[in-house]
Amino acid sequence: MSAPAATSVSVMFRVLSKPYLLALAASGLTALLATPLRDRLDLANTAMLFLLAVVLVAVQLGRGPSILAAFCSVALFDFFFVPPRLSFAVNNVQYLVTFAVMLVVALIISHLTSGLARQAHAAETRELQTRTLYELAKALAGALSQGQVLEAGASFLRENLQADTLLLLPDAQEILHAPDAQTQQTTPEMEHAARQVFDSGDISVADNLAAVDECSLLLPLKGSTRMRGVLIVSVNHEVKDRLQLQRALLLTVASLMAIAIERLHFVEVAQNSELQIASERLRTSILSALSHDVRTPLTVMYGLADTLALSKPALPSSALETVITIREQALRLNNMVSNLLDMARMQAGHVRLRKEWQPLEEVIGASIKLLGTGLQGHAVKVALPADLPLLEFDAVLMERVFCNLLENAAKYSPGVADIQVHAQTSGAMIDITICNAGDGFPPDKLKQIFDLFERGSVESPVPGFGVGLAICRAIVEAHGGGIRAFNPDTGGSCVSFLLPRGTPPQIEHEYDPGELP
Amino acid sequence: MSIPGPLVLVVEDEMQIRRFVRAALEGEGCRVAEAETMAQGLLDAGTRKPDLIILDLGLPDGDGVRFVHELRSWANLPVLVLSARSTESDKIGVLDAGADDYLTKPFAVGELLARVRALLRRGKTGSEAGSPLIHFGEVEVDLSRRQVLRLGKPVHLTPIEYRLLVAMLANSGKVMTQRHLLREVWGPSFVESNHYLRIYVGHLRQKLEQDPTQPRHLLTETGVGYRFQI
Repeated sequence: MSAPAATSVSVMFRVLSKPYLLALAASGLTALLATPLRDRLDLANTAMLFLLAVVLVAVQLGRGPSILAAFCSVALFDFFFVPPRLSFAVNNVQYLVTFAVMLVVALIISHLTSGLARQAHAAETRELQTRTLYELAKALAGALSQGQVLEAGASFLRENLQADTLLLLPDAQEILHAPDAQTQQTTPEMEHAARQVFDSGDISVADNLAAVDECSLLLPLKGSTRMRGVLIVSVNHEVKDRLQLQRALLLTVASLMAIAIERLHFVEVAQNSELQIASERLRTSILSALSHDVRTPLTVMYGLADTLALSKPALPSSALETVITIREQALRLNNMVSNLLDMARMQAGHVRLRKEWQPLEEVIGASIKLLGTGLQGHAVKVALPADLPLLEFDAVLMERVFCNLLENAAKYSPGVADIQVHAQTSGAMIDITICNAGDGFPPDKLKQIFDLFERGSVESPVPGFGVGLAICRAIVEAHGGGIRAFNPDTGGSCVSFLLPRGTPPQIEHEYDPGELP
Repeated sequence: MSIPGPLVLVVEDEMQIRRFVRAALEGEGCRVAEAETMAQGLLDAGTRKPDLIILDLGLPDGDGVRFVHELRSWANLPVLVLSARSTESDKIGVLDAGADDYLTKPFAVGELLARVRALLRRGKTGSEAGSPLIHFGEVEVDLSRRQVLRLGKPVHLTPIEYRLLVAMLANSGKVMTQRHLLREVWGPSFVESNHYLRIYVGHLRQKLEQDPTQPRHLLTETGVGYRFQI
């Protein structure tokens, strides 16, 4: 047998596959049933029986078989029932009209009925799909991890499309990874292809990506705020049409998964911020407890020493000196504790600046007053330009900066030399400098002195605690400025810091009716 | 001594602090009553009728603002608050509620006594009209003639500057919060305009202080407000 012949036979077989054979059988059966009745039944009613058979075939077997049944019925009707019987010849020409009408009616009925059946079938399929999609949505809504999201999506696609599923999600550095729960490994090509989809947001198709003989569709998972990942659905090459036919379904699955992943992301964000708030609260309560617990004995120490120093009759001079030293040391300890607590607060990074527009001279004056004996008799000479604008800063923190810098300047200042404070405009910043007449900072340590726990020289004769300058830097930087130390050519040492000028608020000029009476 | 000294109620939970505060006050001729909790303090304030209350803000049972509110509902005696640093908002709260002054821990005994004296003096003269003449530093203010002299020469103040000066003089020895001063001098709609207050205090210092950058009478209470000190 030659090849074309074999092909035509196989086509024949396919055409004559089960539904068609059944259609032929239905027509034959009708003819068989009608034959015993042919003397009693009118020809028109016999034709009706054939039409009924065509309808049944159309309902059960679809359009193709019913068309076959229609032609076959007309042929059988002619052959067995229309005189002359057992012949295709016709006595009366009007039977030709019967045949034609019968054929047309059969065809129309078969068309309508099979269409109806198809629609019913499609509706059923759609309903099934909707139900499984609903099941998927339910599973995704209950998913508590990315692994569960993947599992729900994968099992849906496996059942409905016999497809393999891979999921790639971005990490904190925006690099795409498979979630931990995923067993199948990704390849570099796959990651590259996914990257493109992730960046562009467009669907793409790739062959042999997940496995040989497989065709993959890469779907971006678009969340409401950003891209959430890439879904790779792979099927065997032979059924690759399925990916195109079911694209709408796949898009739905992708968006459902994107929503689920986004929801997980926000849950995580919420949990993190809750955790942060809790740890913040803990830190604050520890700090305030510490500050209270340390200050109470300090207050007692300071107060008792002060009481002794003021007691009448006065203590003998050596005892008085001791008592005054105790008092001073208590005060110094208190400053250290304050600095440390402030530093802890600043380093926690959640200090809310209470910035207000105010004149610089006020906070300098308050700092000098607060330091009092801490200046060890050094006078502070303040020289500010008359037109210095208001600056925006947190007065309490800035007071701490000035206290630390002035105290430092006093500590490293010999004798009773003055401490100089001056300020000048420097572009968009105000440059504030505090200088003393000391030996200057070690030139190689000008930067390190602002680091935590660093003093000028290892064996400094002057007591101190490096946290003072570190807190100054933290506060100044929190205000958007910078701080530096330098030794001017004229001798001494200076610390200078910058504060932004900003735009001070307008002040309405006061109407002044002239000198008061 | 026939006249007993003024009675000071110390509301403080730390025994040692009470001890030296009591010693210092008694050295000044005051009688001292002690309370360990705010509840006890309120009770004692009612029964013992002290002339002054020293209140620690860090009491375990305590909300200082409520204490002062309750106290102010039936008594007008001066309240001096003791508090730790870096709790400016607490201080402002309790001062706005009606406390008169505060001291930051740790505090010098001399400073405490100076504040106590100032408050007790206020308590005495508060009811009767004080003298219309007030002297401080090089300055003399005649409230009846609305005249300000410095070294004997008249100083020109704008109406707001004068109102501000009078408000500060009237509360001499007390801490006035920025809010309080703004409301008193500028009116209730200005209570958020802190920079106005700061600028005008600066003007007053320029006109009345020897060294405006290191004032001795118009003092800044950083983060809280101002204090006038003779």
